[in-house]
Amino acid sequence: MGFFDDTISLSAPPEGRVEATAKVTGSGKYSAEYEVASLCHAVLVGSTIPAGIIKSINVGNARQVEGVIDVITHLNRPMVPAFADEAKIKEARFGLPVFHTDKIYFKGQPIAMVIAETLEDATYAASLITAEYAADQFNVDFEKSYKNAELKTAGKDRGTADSWAETPSVVEAEYTIKNEVHNPMEMHATIAHWTAENELKMFDKNQGVNNVQRMFAKLYNIPAEKIHVVSEFVGGGFGSGLRVWPHCLAAVIGAKAVKRPVKLVLTRPQMFTLVGYRPESWQKVKIGADNSGKFTGILHQARHATCVYDNFNEGITRIARLVYNFANLRTESATVPLNLSMPTWMRGPGDCTGDFAIESAIDELSYKLNIDPVQLRLQNLALEKDPDSGKKWSTNFVDECIKLAAEKIQWQNRKAAIGAISDGDWKTGYGMAVGMWNAGRSNASAGIKMLKDGSITVQTAMTDIGTGTGTAMQNIAKDATGISKEKIRIELGNSNLPPAPSQGGSTGLSSISGAVAAAVNALKMKLAGFAAAENDTYKNVVGADIILSDNGISYKTTNQQFVPYSVIWEKNNLQVLEVEASSAPGDERKQLAFCSSAAHFCMVKVNTKTGKIKIEKMVCAADGGTIVNEKAAANQISGAVVGGIGMALMEEQLIDPKLGTAIGNDLAGYHFAVNADAPIVEVIFVNKPDVNSNPSGSKGLGEVGIIGAAAAIANAIYNAIGKRLRDLPITPDKVLMG
Amino acid sequence: MRPFIFTKPATADQALIKKTNQAQFIAGGTNLLDLMKKHIALPEELLDVTNALPAAITANTKGIRIDAMVRNSAIASQAEVLSQFPLLAKAVLAGASPQIRNMASTAGNLLQRTRCPYFYDTTVPCNKRIPGTGCSAMDGDNRMSAIVGYSNQCVAVHPSDMCIALAALEANVLVTGRDKKQHSIPFKDFHRLPGTTPQLDNNLPANAVITAVEIPGNRFQKNFAYVKVRDRDSYAFALISVAAALHMEAGVISEARLASGGVAHKPWRWYKAEQFLKGKKPSAENFRQAASIAVGETKPLANNKFKTVMLQGAIETALQNCLTA
Amino acid sequence: MERKQSFSRRFFLKTTSFAGALALIPPKAKALYTELKQRLIPTKEIMPLTVTINKKAYEVKADSRTTLLDLLRENLHLTGTKKGCDHGQCGACTVHIDGQRVLSCLTLAVMTTGKNVTTIEGLADGDKLHPMQQAFIECDGFQCGYCTPGQIMSAVACVNEGHTRSVAEIKEFMSGNLCRCGAYNGIVESIQKVAI
Repeated sequence: MGFFDDTISLSAPPEGRVEATAKVTGSGKYSAEYEVASLCHAVLVGSTIPAGIIKSINVGNARQVEGVIDVITHLNRPMVPAFADEAKIKEARFGLPVFHTDKIYFKGQPIAMVIAETLEDATYAASLITAEYAADQFNVDFEKSYKNAELKTAGKDRGTADSWAETPSVVEAEYTIKNEVHNPMEMHATIAHWTAENELKMFDKNQGVNNVQRMFAKLYNIPAEKIHVVSEFVGGGFGSGLRVWPHCLAAVIGAKAVKRPVKLVLTRPQMFTLVGYRPESWQKVKIGADNSGKFTGILHQARHATCVYDNFNEGITRIARLVYNFANLRTESATVPLNLSMPTWMRGPGDCTGDFAIESAIDELSYKLNIDPVQLRLQNLALEKDPDSGKKWSTNFVDECIKLAAEKIQWQNRKAAIGAISDGDWKTGYGMAVGMWNAGRSNASAGIKMLKDGSITVQTAMTDIGTGTGTAMQNIAKDATGISKEKIRIELGNSNLPPAPSQGGSTGLSSISGAVAAAVNALKMKLAGFAAAENDTYKNVVGADIILSDNGISYKTTNQQFVPYSVIWEKNNLQVLEVEASSAPGDERKQLAFCSSAAHFCMVKVNTKTGKIKIEKMVCAADGGTIVNEKAAANQISGAVVGGIGMALMEEQLIDPKLGTAIGNDLAGYHFAVNADAPIVEVIFVNKPDVNSNPSGSKGLGEVGIIGAAAAIANAIYNAIGKRLRDLPITPDKVLMG
Repeated sequence: MRPFIFTKPATADQALIKKTNQAQFIAGGTNLLDLMKKHIALPEELLDVTNALPAAITANTKGIRIDAMVRNSAIASQAEVLSQFPLLAKAVLAGASPQIRNMASTAGNLLQRTRCPYFYDTTVPCNKRIPGTGCSAMDGDNRMSAIVGYSNQCVAVHPSDMCIALAALEANVLVTGRDKKQHSIPFKDFHRLPGTTPQLDNNLPANAVITAVEIPGNRFQKNFAYVKVRDRDSYAFALISVAAALHMEAGVISEARLASGGVAHKPWRWYKAEQFLKGKKPSAENFRQAASIAVGETKPLANNKFKTVMLQGAIETALQNCLTA
Repeated sequence: MERKQSFSRRFFLKTTSFAGALALIPPKAKALYTELKQRLIPTKEIMPLTVTINKKAYEVKADSRTTLLDLLRENLHLTGTKKGCDHGQCGACTVHIDGQRVLSCLTLAVMTTGKNVTTIEGLADGDKLHPMQQAFIECDGFQCGYCTPGQIMSAVACVNEGHTRSVAEIKEFMSGNLCRCGAYNGIVESIQKVAI
């Protein structure tokens, strides 16, 4: 099973991603789509109250429904060893001990699971299950509760808080953002199959197969190698696949109970409560500058929601410490536990939220100072060193991003005066903001299998959630080996392949490019070892001396000291040549700081009568080091910007404070941007290598595309109509009433 | 879904014979299946009327007849509709998505149920879903709810766009009962206000079937507009929508129609504002005053005060757009 | 189209203790109970169905409740058509019925009897991709690929309908297909490429 589609051979394959054909023909298998013999279907039943104790569950009617095989509750589930008692549950750090507690922590918490022959049977039976509860008092009201959460310092203070209070220009304001939900298009799904007593196979939607494997090894106390996780095609994640969630364990429990493979696909409403969300937040930013526009200090305070059965802190104030020079700085944060499900990292976690407040405040400051917002930012950027760690940036081209994007959108057309560009009720405004993200890298492994004909298969356990990991691997392997693209296959998203970290935090490409480069080097050395028997030149060589082609191995230049693969294979009676290697960041990470960055520029039209906002232009210039695959990279950025449009203008999951219920928890109630909401997003890359980052010179791009986009839009709205809207999302009502 | 018997009557007569209180007609299915999947609608039998009911658009001297089974997209692209009733086409295209418009029938569009999120959440009280349980929206999140015509039992709004145009164009709903007698219900009387029976959306007699919608000929081919304000640019229900149509004679408005969606339990006509416009010049000031008259009828709830401001702006915009349509 | 429901959900809930008490009920009442139970917890209706999918005739039996989407994915293992919401709110399940784009999640399988269904699996002509599939590859009109079959089916219809006169028109007529990755740039570009 390759990331290619093996079943369809095209007469003329177009130039595109490695898995493109599988995706456009529908043949690529996502987790719920595998055919497994004697598969049955599971449907979860959620609690109807947000807090309390389950007194009884009535499953009688459900059990009578034709096709029902079993109904699992906390009273009859086969025990998960790691949940044997309260102490062990805590130790397991799984979060919600699904079916191992009678306590209810949030509305929609799974209290039962119907397993039936068909999805129709299971769904209908699930609708007949009722429970009696001893209801407790609950709190889901962030707005009323956040003030009670005591702020604590988050990171070291710089300078003093008092020193800049008398600065000529200071702005101070509060910002809020409602819950946002990842909502990848593919609903989370798991097929769990106990293939033997202690052997588990899973087809699961996640962003890291090894993470899932490790978690189940721990939960069931079985060796990781007995757990096989396949996540070859993943229909989006945005962070929702970085944790192992209760439904995934529920499927495994169910499969154990009925001794058959079980498929559990969440419903869309369940996607709002069972796989995380970006928590609601409150922020205050106080920022000052002297008359020249030099920032004198910042105070950034943030609180966000979390759940009552686990903790989550996403570090909203981190971004305040990253982008600009502030001689005086204080950051404070707190979390607010509510009777809601567990929040989690969502695209640009923390920074995306914090950046909205800071970049809005800087914009406000620019009007106060009467300095162009582009100029104000350029003169305060911390371009030499990471202001927090004091380490020199390996590369930081955020200033170039700003200049490139300003030029592209023709920033000179912006008028500093509010509402100066107008056409009847439509006012046009320009806004900009920047985003930055720590460009990380993790340990990762990759393997290569080579056949006699010179074709290779490059493998890793890492998933490709749509970022183009597979294609990047192919590109890197092609450049590093010299073997043509057509002869390079990719396999990924499978725990049987060389281990790799989860795909998140924009580290995927950085991590895997090192691994692929290491594997290529290992392949070269192994081939050189064989070639040495034919030609002495290869006796003392290093990887860099070796050039591969479709047909054989050469020394330093193509065809010099050429040894064909066929000779190596025949002489050594080889079938498949296999290598595996891993790579990790080294000392460079101790000496240098790494960042990706982006500048977002936006032109909006706002209708002052209806409150309608139309984004006319959106430009994003980004620094992601060397761009390995421009098409996929541009797609990443423009897609993230579309996410930013949603964040700015429409995304909000409201919770009814009296009922504890998520209001409108489906794709009609929760709006994210449709095609018509987004302009054609214009993307520009700095495209300069960061040689210290990893062998490919790239830096992750997944997050920066969204960080700053919302602020750029809000700032443009201010420029158009003079309303400083600090509460996201900026829906038409806020435009009218703000 | 709850198990159900499925049959496909060949004619309207057969469909009517089979229709009982436990059976429901299904046409496009775009709302009914949604409700069945949520276990809100639990019919014991479904009667597929896609073959039983007519599906033609027929123009005559009195106006146009759109049969029950005409799909929404067919309305929006039909030549006679485009030339004589362009407001209707415009409103239809503002609703749902191309796929749903290809499925949704004319009759079904009239019978869509509210999209109030509490109606859809079977774990919370809702008088429309289960009479007597209470209205969660009243004291809950009522941002999307009604600002006029609601009762203390229900603040839900009617979701259709097409119906707003039909209300403005004073269509008639043709209905056949089990007695095979056909009668016509004026559009304004078809949908109900919630009052004390919010579970009832309309006045379609029990076990009767809608066979067609008739729109009388009009003079709104030139000056019309449909303005829909929503949380995203497409594929979303209205916060406020306004169907406006004007006929001008000698620079003066001789006839005006104004209807809104997103404001009430039924498509809402702004009669007083229409009356005000009659005989007036089409000026920004007159449009502003007409909008104010409409807004004067409303009484927003805790979370939807913005709707009055939005309504004011949307009516002004729609009337203004009538002049440039 | 009467919308009144025959039994309220509440009524269901109140009768749930019936099952447990069955053993104690005399035979006559038992018959009554069986009848009542059939109304309360009815058995499923399995129906024959003849439908043409991708030019191939299928004669299958399906639960009356099965949607075309679930028939394709679960019964026929044609998993190219995707389930993104199951409620007509995302467009991932878009297929063509008799040449028109529709949502398979809101279509009962039994209602497709006698109809021609085309899914993403039926779009290519043998080993030759449909121009729209080709365009999506070349313009990188996707990321995760999950909404892609629905986008492509919708895009093909969008071109056939002639709704491609401007970027704005394409965007409006493709707004019934949500893409959370936000690959709208490439989707629009693909359609422009094919429409010319």
